[in-house]
Amino acid sequence: MADAEVSLSPALLHLSPSHAAPPPPPASTSPTTFSCPSSPSSASSSSSSSSSSCCSESSSDCPHHHHHRHPHRPQLQLPPPPNSEQPSSPSASPRSSSPSGSIGSTGSLGSSSEGIGSSGGSSSGEQRGPTPPLDAISEDAMEMDLGADQVIDPEVALKACQEVLLKVKLQNREVPDQQQVDNKQELDDHQQQQQQQEEEDNQQQQHQQDDHHHQQQQQDNQQKQTHPPCTDPTESSGPQWLISPDTSSIKEEDEEEVEEGGSGKDEVKQHGTSSQRDTPPPSSSRLESSSLLSASSSSKQSWLLRLFESKLFDVSMAIAYLYKSKEPGVQAYIGNRLFSFPDSEVDFYLPQLLNMYVHMDTEVGDAISPYLIHRCRGGITFSLLTAWLLGAYSSDMHISTQRHSRGNKLRKLILSDELKPSAPPADPQRGGSVSGSPASSPSNRRCHRRHNSHNVDSTSPFPSPDSPVPGESEVFVSPSRRTHQRSKSDATTASSGFGSGLRRTGSNPRVEAVPEELERLRPQRELVKSLLGIGRRLATLPTKEQKTQRLISELSLLNHKLPARVWMPTAENQHHVCRIPNTQAVVLNSKDKAPYIIYVEVLECDSFETSAVPARIPETRIRSARSAENLDCGGGVTAANANLSTMTSEHRTGSFSTVPNYDNDDEAWATDDIGQLQVEAQTSSSDNISQFSVDSITSLESREPVFIAAGDIRRRLSENLAQTPTSFRRDPEDPSAVALKEPWEEKVRRIREGSPYGHLLNWRLLSVIVKCGDDLRQELLAYQVLRQLQSIWQQERVPLWIKPYKILVMSSDSGMIEPVLNAVSLHQVRKQSQMSLLDYFLQEHGSFTTEEFLTAQRNFVQSCAGYSLICYLLQVKDRHNGNILLDSEGHIIHIDFGFILSSSPRNLGFETSAFKLTSEFVDVMGGLDGDMFIYYKMLMLQGLIAARKHMEKVLQIVEIMQQGSHLACFHGSSTIRGLKERFHMSLTEEQLQVLVEQLVDGSMRSITTKLYDSFQYVTNGIM
Amino acid sequence: MSQVEKKTGLLRRTSSSKKPLKEKVVLMYDEIFAKEDPAKNNPRFWDELFLMKVNLEYLETKLETVDGEEVQKIQDNINSLFHHCVQALGEEHQIKVVNALQTLCALFRGVHQKNKSASGFDIINMLMGFDKAEQRMKDLMERLDSLLCGEGSESLKSLCLKLLLCLVTVTDNISQNTILEYVMINSIFEAILQILSDVSSRGQHGYDAVVLLALLVNYRKYESVNPYIVKLSIVDDEPTLDGMGMVVHHALTEYNRQYKDKEEENQGGFFSTLTSMVGSMFIADADEKLSVQTNEAILLALYEAVHLNRNFITVLAQSHPEMDIPTTPTTLTPTTPTTPLGTTPPSLDMMNNPELPLDPNLQTSNLLITFLKYASIVMQDTKDEHRLNSARLCLIILTCIAEDQYADAFLHDDNMNFRVNLHRMPMRHRKKAVDKNIPSRPLVCAVLDLMVEFIVTHMMKDFPMDLYLRCVQIIHKLLCYQKKCRIRLHYTWRELWSALINLLKFLLSNETTLLSKHNIFHLALLVVNLFNMFITYGDTFLPTSNSYDELYYEIVRMHQVFDNLYCMVLRVSTNTGQWKEPASKVTHALVNVRAIVNHFNPKIESYASVNHISQLSEEQVLEVVRSNYDTLTLKLQDGLDQFERYSEQPKEAAFFKELVRSISLNVRKNVSLNTLSQGVLLKEFSTIS
Repeated sequence: MADAEVSLSPALLHLSPSHAAPPPPPASTSPTTFSCPSSPSSASSSSSSSSSSCCSESSSDCPHHHHHRHPHRPQLQLPPPPNSEQPSSPSASPRSSSPSGSIGSTGSLGSSSEGIGSSGGSSSGEQRGPTPPLDAISEDAMEMDLGADQVIDPEVALKACQEVLLKVKLQNREVPDQQQVDNKQELDDHQQQQQQQEEEDNQQQQHQQDDHHHQQQQQDNQQKQTHPPCTDPTESSGPQWLISPDTSSIKEEDEEEVEEGGSGKDEVKQHGTSSQRDTPPPSSSRLESSSLLSASSSSKQSWLLRLFESKLFDVSMAIAYLYKSKEPGVQAYIGNRLFSFPDSEVDFYLPQLLNMYVHMDTEVGDAISPYLIHRCRGGITFSLLTAWLLGAYSSDMHISTQRHSRGNKLRKLILSDELKPSAPPADPQRGGSVSGSPASSPSNRRCHRRHNSHNVDSTSPFPSPDSPVPGESEVFVSPSRRTHQRSKSDATTASSGFGSGLRRTGSNPRVEAVPEELERLRPQRELVKSLLGIGRRLATLPTKEQKTQRLISELSLLNHKLPARVWMPTAENQHHVCRIPNTQAVVLNSKDKAPYIIYVEVLECDSFETSAVPARIPETRIRSARSAENLDCGGGVTAANANLSTMTSEHRTGSFSTVPNYDNDDEAWATDDIGQLQVEAQTSSSDNISQFSVDSITSLESREPVFIAAGDIRRRLSENLAQTPTSFRRDPEDPSAVALKEPWEEKVRRIREGSPYGHLLNWRLLSVIVKCGDDLRQELLAYQVLRQLQSIWQQERVPLWIKPYKILVMSSDSGMIEPVLNAVSLHQVRKQSQMSLLDYFLQEHGSFTTEEFLTAQRNFVQSCAGYSLICYLLQVKDRHNGNILLDSEGHIIHIDFGFILSSSPRNLGFETSAFKLTSEFVDVMGGLDGDMFIYYKMLMLQGLIAARKHMEKVLQIVEIMQQGSHLACFHGSSTIRGLKERFHMSLTEEQLQVLVEQLVDGSMRSITTKLYDSFQYVTNGIM
Repeated sequence: MSQVEKKTGLLRRTSSSKKPLKEKVVLMYDEIFAKEDPAKNNPRFWDELFLMKVNLEYLETKLETVDGEEVQKIQDNINSLFHHCVQALGEEHQIKVVNALQTLCALFRGVHQKNKSASGFDIINMLMGFDKAEQRMKDLMERLDSLLCGEGSESLKSLCLKLLLCLVTVTDNISQNTILEYVMINSIFEAILQILSDVSSRGQHGYDAVVLLALLVNYRKYESVNPYIVKLSIVDDEPTLDGMGMVVHHALTEYNRQYKDKEEENQGGFFSTLTSMVGSMFIADADEKLSVQTNEAILLALYEAVHLNRNFITVLAQSHPEMDIPTTPTTLTPTTPTTPLGTTPPSLDMMNNPELPLDPNLQTSNLLITFLKYASIVMQDTKDEHRLNSARLCLIILTCIAEDQYADAFLHDDNMNFRVNLHRMPMRHRKKAVDKNIPSRPLVCAVLDLMVEFIVTHMMKDFPMDLYLRCVQIIHKLLCYQKKCRIRLHYTWRELWSALINLLKFLLSNETTLLSKHNIFHLALLVVNLFNMFITYGDTFLPTSNSYDELYYEIVRMHQVFDNLYCMVLRVSTNTGQWKEPASKVTHALVNVRAIVNHFNPKIESYASVNHISQLSEEQVLEVVRSNYDTLTLKLQDGLDQFERYSEQPKEAAFFKELVRSISLNVRKNVSLNTLSQGVLLKEFSTIS
């Protein structure tokens, strides 16, 4: 302890002296200069990183550095040794300059540690003292690095990391002694000093370390540049964050208030321009909270520290500690560590993070919020997801508290779109995985703005960036690729000699003054709003048929605004939505709500935020598009069809070329040709010719009369009809059955053929279920648990098969679901096929001995085992056949996790069994004595053992979500305990085996399962 | 003040012999019609003139009464008046603009009234002077364009459109209206499109704009290149096309609604009193039973859009919630005249609402459905000339639709199911179908239903041959599409078959009377070939194997008709005469039908005699059919799946000329500038300026 103290305090001293000399720069700027709010290491790493450009690089590198670092860790002796012999060295500076956050801590430290130098302005003479120890380390590290041919960054990063922890420890001890409520002024001073110190350090470093020379200079420059605009209220409030625990929370809120309140454009602009603004909150808050660390044994700390530093420390553990640790220091540390994890991994825990943010004490919130804000700046996707989830999780709060809750404030902040991407150089998340890079280049910005201006003009339900507006498409599409449409409207407008004040003005993006940032989230929000609005309206219609009709018609209106800068949040890849084939949409089965499934055509792109939105292609393109596809890709269409369309296209090329040749098209539509074209349209008939050639050539060639047997015709008819036996009948009461039964590939091909965009190589089809009036938070929880179990089983190599489907919570009563492809419900199977499950398997996959059947059977068993376990562990109820899907490969998939854990549909005493295992299922598995049934039980055992091993990971997901939640699944007090018990930690594997046997037996014999099925049949008509 | 003026104006007309006080404007008119330049004594003459309220009647009568020689003398003054009118259009003072517009209108009308027989050039000369005509008209059109597209008052825009409509319809035959040549050169197409694309302006002026466009498109359609045709054919801006569709949709919906009201009123009942009140607001002569006047202008616009613009086809399928809720009286704003079929439909307020209404009782509808309903009403009674024209135009439009691949695609789209309540004529031998039981089906079923309905209901002495031909051709085109794309439509084909057989029967029994007027063999050939389509290609598009059996059953059941037909055509084709050729074609076409009849009849008879059944049940016959396919050989006929594409020229040119003429007359009758009362305008503009 003493060591630590010594080692640290010098650092402080070292810092403090410097401030005296230079004119005090505005207090808070320092934090901001270090763009990288990420891990403690960030600043130093950035300084050492070779890229001259910006910190953005550094932050994205962070995780990377950490990984690198691990191998060296032991050698580096954590916690840092308190050597003091080392002469001051440049390497110290990175530490001190390190994540701005350190300011706060050092500030408080400074005052406290002034056991040595009592006041803020401590003696300059001592400054050399402190640095050495760390220097030594760093130098060592560097040497090692060089030896190992490693980059230097990791070391430096590590060092900074250590330092922070060290300080944390120190503070723990110091704080109590010290006056908690420091004079704010003093703190400010400290900060200033510190900052200057940092600058000095940097310069020092420059001298000594050539490697770093370059960047540091840059950094300095940055710092200097950034000083002036520090008038930003939020910045000046920076110091407040440092204030003692009690006040801090309040102040922080105030600060947020300021942030939110100041929605005035001026402020917005400042946000945009001042790069510093982006980063400070994380670090400062972190440090601040670290200063609050209550006393705890340093040994424990060091163990924790070791753990945190170890490579085993992953997001899951981070979340766990964040949740469990009551120590602000730890929380703050983890809050910072979040920056170092890959985005995608953290994203998985986003619901947990946000729930903690909303429902737990301020410290946790403070720890997380920098990360959240940072990520929100990074990407529209993350911003929206966060906003939606925040809204949903806040909804359980009392209405009065909700308004002022932290979650709600953050939500408003995000939705107000003030968290726009930082100026390019400061944006740390560039190239980040999910978030994608925000619009940074000037040209992109312009695009944004343009389409915004257009949005403003349009009275549309949701704004379309460019779609039908010629002027717009010009922006995105290079002149040579100007579309057909464009050229045509040129033709129309150009030929009018006058009257320029016409509609062309409407589309003329003159209103460029509208700030782009305000509109960043809008298109997507509007899309979601329209989709949900449709769902709400549909619910008011009485019959499925009317609902579907209305759905189709409303979607067609949406289509007018597409393509646009909108995306389907459930999809993996970056894309723009280009069209919704509205006639394919179908209303799903539901008694009083109107969930519906839509298919969405998208065009993949590099980044949906920056890539150009594809130009609109008019619907009637379909004809030529179809043929174009055949010519280009030439696959998947029946010979007759291909033949036909080739004919058409060939014929058409004469007059106006097919889709791929846009450029020629332009010319083809030039004004001169119009007259000619019109003649063509009137007189010639491509259809005639193609038909003629296909159908009648045979008969024409031979003058002899051709005779055909009536019997043949009749036979062909029945054969043709027999060829498509597996499609379901169209049932007005169940319109979705047909749509869902159609094999996905088939559907994709069909829709692609019919789409004007189908010929594009990056064309994809997605589908999504839109739900209104349903709370999907529980579904989301189930999804997380399923995903977690899935990865556990994968990790443990247990071949259990489950299919977690993505859930998107948009509010507490709406959201989207990723549909399971190629799957229909057991209910639909039964109703349509009127046969037993086994017979259906035989019909679909072939007889018992065929490979297809065996594969399907194995799939069935593996999925059955997986879902049996899940149903047991999560106590999934309401397992009627409408909620169990069967996919085309034989897997079963459970859907609808509306009743899990502590909740079940009414308390009729149904479904007492552990899971649903009907004799039909057993039949498919080959009967009770079959090998596959034994395999089934074995799988369950293995799965349970594997799950048990990682129980904490599963438990944690559920437990955190219980915070502040009013969800039915958390009803009662024993939810978590019950869940825990079902993992049976205490049992031996043999005992577990017995348990599995019992569960299976019990479920199979369960009368209640049958009862529930018949109950469902009677009440809801579900077979 | 203005009231008084108006009265005097009216008085003048009725009692022209007396000499009451002349209002100032009339004095000024008189000055113009004097031989001297009115501005000579009063340099501010023209300025003052356009501040005066226009006296349309006086001006028009004055123009009419000027005789030949006088014209020469006052031509300069008239030219000058025209010139100043055009200039006044650019005035900031809105009152001047209004007066100029009305004056221009009176000029156009008066000059044409006077010179009904005169050549277009004389008229142009009289109005503008040859040398300046081009410039004058260019100015006029530019001014109108900027008025229409500007931010100005809506009433002003409305007045501009009225002026244009007035100009377009001054002659009976639009193609003889030489002034329109300048309208061709100085296109206002873009202005019209802009009106249609904007929601609010569409609501107020959409109807006039669409009618104007339809008329302009028909100017010298067949003789020269009409830029409006060219431009209309390439419009691809969806909001605009959609706007056009909405205007048509709304007008047709309004018609359907009025018809329904009338119908209900006729049936009497609780609702009738209410609706009759509403109805009588729109329909002038309430005596006319169940015949709401058709709106050919709007139908023509629909036709031109469908025919010329391939992008418009998508609009047909664009769904909207049905808009036939009774409209609120607020729609009767002073700017919309309440003429019976006035150029402005009574209620367009629904279109002003971009948000879809939330009424759950609304059935989703689209333009095509509305059109089909409209067609079903119009086709009910084709005795009236207007209705016959409308019915013909409806069938032509359907022909165009049936030929369009994209339209076919959505007609047959299995996911787009609709209930279409077609109107059926009440007939003695059948009950009125219960509306509610119509299943929701792809749209093509409604088209087929409509065709079947027409076939069944129009077998009358005054046989509408060309309608029948179109009708059968539409069916044929749809079948060709189904065959080509292998679409198995679940339609009750039996109804179609029996309707067609009944048609043949009717032709046979009225052979002599019909032959004097029509080539019935052509129709018979088409009908028989429809059967041939089913017989030879049934495997590609019939929905079930049973339906093929049923086809044979139907043919065999009605074999008498085919036998008689064969006898008849054989007889005619062996004689020499004008029908020899067409009749022999029918004999050839009948080959497969006869083969079927000859093959199965003996089988069925023997089956009956073997089993000692006098009357075979349907099932039994089908059984016989099924078991005897294999011994039947059919002949593959050529070109069954080919059809003649629709082309307007030369076949339909005469029809369209006549149609446009009648529309012109109608529009001219109803363009009422007076309805735009000065008071309203004054009120509006006084607040502006």
